Amino acid sequence: MSMMNKMLSHKSQGTRFSLAVALCVVTTLIALPVRDQLDVANIVMLFLLAVFVTAVTLGRGPAILAAFLNVALFDFFFVLPHLSFAVADVQYLVTFAVMLVVGLITSHLVARVAERTQAAQMRERQTFALYDLARDLGASLTMEQVTATAETFLHDIDFDVTLLVADTSVTGNAETTFHEYGKHHLGRMEQSFAHSAFAQQMIVETDTLAGMGVAIIFLPLAAPTHEFVKVHGVLAVTPQTSDVDAIRMHRPLLEAVASLVAMTVERLHHAEAAHQSALQVAAERLRNSILSSLSHDLRTPLTTLVGLADTLVQSSPSLDDAASETATIIRDQAHAMHRLLSNLLEMARLKNGQVKLNRQWQPFEEIIGSSTRLLAGLLANRALTIELPRDLPLLNFDAVLMERVVCNLLENAVKYSATGARIHLSARTQDGFLEVSVCNDGVGFPPDRLDEVFELFVRGEHNSSVSGTGMGLAICKAVVLAHEGTIVAENCAEGGCNRACVRFTLPLGVPPAISEEASV
Amino acid sequence: MSAKSTTTAHVLVIEDEPQIRRFVCDALRREACVCSESANAVDGLRQVASEEVDLVLLDLGLPDMSGIDFIRELRTWSKVPVLILSARSGEDDKIGALDAGADDYLSKPFGIGELLARVRALLRRHGQGFDATPCYEFGDVHVDLSRRIVHRDGVEIHLTKIEYRLLAVMLASNGKVLTHSHLMREVWGAGYAEQGHYLRIYLGRLRQKLEADPTQPKYFLTETGVGYRFQS
Repeated sequence: MSMMNKMLSHKSQGTRFSLAVALCVVTTLIALPVRDQLDVANIVMLFLLAVFVTAVTLGRGPAILAAFLNVALFDFFFVLPHLSFAVADVQYLVTFAVMLVVGLITSHLVARVAERTQAAQMRERQTFALYDLARDLGASLTMEQVTATAETFLHDIDFDVTLLVADTSVTGNAETTFHEYGKHHLGRMEQSFAHSAFAQQMIVETDTLAGMGVAIIFLPLAAPTHEFVKVHGVLAVTPQTSDVDAIRMHRPLLEAVASLVAMTVERLHHAEAAHQSALQVAAERLRNSILSSLSHDLRTPLTTLVGLADTLVQSSPSLDDAASETATIIRDQAHAMHRLLSNLLEMARLKNGQVKLNRQWQPFEEIIGSSTRLLAGLLANRALTIELPRDLPLLNFDAVLMERVVCNLLENAVKYSATGARIHLSARTQDGFLEVSVCNDGVGFPPDRLDEVFELFVRGEHNSSVSGTGMGLAICKAVVLAHEGTIVAENCAEGGCNRACVRFTLPLGVPPAISEEASV
Repeated sequence: MSAKSTTTAHVLVIEDEPQIRRFVCDALRREACVCSESANAVDGLRQVASEEVDLVLLDLGLPDMSGIDFIRELRTWSKVPVLILSARSGEDDKIGALDAGADDYLSKPFGIGELLARVRALLRRHGQGFDATPCYEFGDVHVDLSRRIVHRDGVEIHLTKIEYRLLAVMLASNGKVLTHSHLMREVWGAGYAEQGHYLRIYLGRLRQKLEADPTQPKYFLTETGVGYRFQS
């Protein structure tokens, strides 16, 4: 029931009519003793006053009753012949008519002013209530608090409310699922109404279900953003009474509530998203700082080891051959350990979440040049041949990671081949890809496990004497995949010896244009 | 600054790990350098200010100051060459240090031969001062900057304006690592900072014209992820 009804209903309908009748009777009783002293016109005034008072205090209906009743009482008690409805002088009929019309008009005007005042007061109260609601929603930090605030507000005007918030974690074409908040639980039918309100972004009303304890209005929670309307969920409102008019009467208010709730839900969504990304940034920073300090702490003793072994090798007077060889081995092993460490750290970076590729358009041959220079020592006693077309286009890749791929492949080729063996590095463009292959003489990959060699900690041969962890190819695969390329291992028989080959591809893409300068 | 040979050079090693300081100084002394040590940045700055230091070897991971801040501070009043010793794997640290004014870097772990080669190159370049010759020779290439002429094996090589400017910038910084952004700024100007592929294309052309095997360059070296270095 509305606030206006509440105000008026502090006296029931029957009481007010009885009071009106009583007032008329009192007027008659007051006027009766002075009937002979007063002029009839003044008595008419008394009755009009009674109608006026009734209209002001009791409203329109009782005033109309009073208008008619007063005409009757005036006729009966004060117009000759007394105590009869008969009229001796016909001109009194004019008096009756004027009295009635004036009474009716008065009651109408007065009642209308009263109604308008009440309506204005009600609107004022609603506005204040909405201010309060907006303030309370503004302070809400969880969906539960939002729901409780909306419930408190709507309970005052006899509505139950259920807040349905769309689950944003589900994407794609799947039907939206709602998180339901509120004491009133929605049935299957109500859920489907809510879905259609959500999907069509329109208010859905089902008057016919009024009074069955079923939600009958579904308001989409649409928060207007800059360019489009984003619907976050649905507010389902259930009247506690069977009064269908209640919904109609309160619809503007309900829409205002829905839009306040929508803005709050939107704010909570943004706050949640900001919180999540802050957490992610913190986790990323922690991981990077752990990897960075690990890298620093492990490299420092390795540096000492390499440096001191080098000092021994170069000491004067020089060491005897055996001691010098020992020192050299120490140095080489420390270098090997460093490569292992680099691979481990790289793998940790690659496996632990998204790698941020530092992609730049650059020629692939630079990578080959820098890799062979880095591995010059290792490659010294292998026959390396490089076969590159002169007109390779620029490629978009992360140079540091790609250098690691080529280094790992070359290191592998050295590791699994004998002194003096041939290693062949070649590249060519084919079908929108650059294909790079690194092949080496040797026993080749185990033919039945060609795919497994790219798995972490899997090596070509079990229990072989060759040292290594099987991380190298796994890193190659991770890097190549991050560049939308492919990588395969294969054996090909050529000239009587088995050759092990790893081929990988990188998409060519469209390199940026360069404007040629005028020549000197 | 007067030209100094390695034999009298004074090298300051700023490194918090005593064992590394020890073998680095051992190696430098065998090269007949004077070597002094410092375990932290503040003491290191004080030593550069009070003694006549010809080269600074700087660890990027000092306990009291970041290496980049050290170089920025040092560069406000000194031009002494700085060789970075970096134990970090990320390229950003190296680029940051080089852009702040370091001359070269060496990734840990490094061999002594590698270290001494870098030290010699930096001392030699710095010792040349401003009376540098306009003529450079590397491999079978002869460059005369005063006459803007490049010969390879006695035959004149035609270079475009930009190729020539790139060559001149790299020759002038013989042995020094030049970051991508530094080279872009020097050769193309500030507006081209985002056009890194220009540099790579032109450097490729320079290699085609001046290197015996452009795929495995000997002089125009790639410092992957950082920049380029000319090494004669």
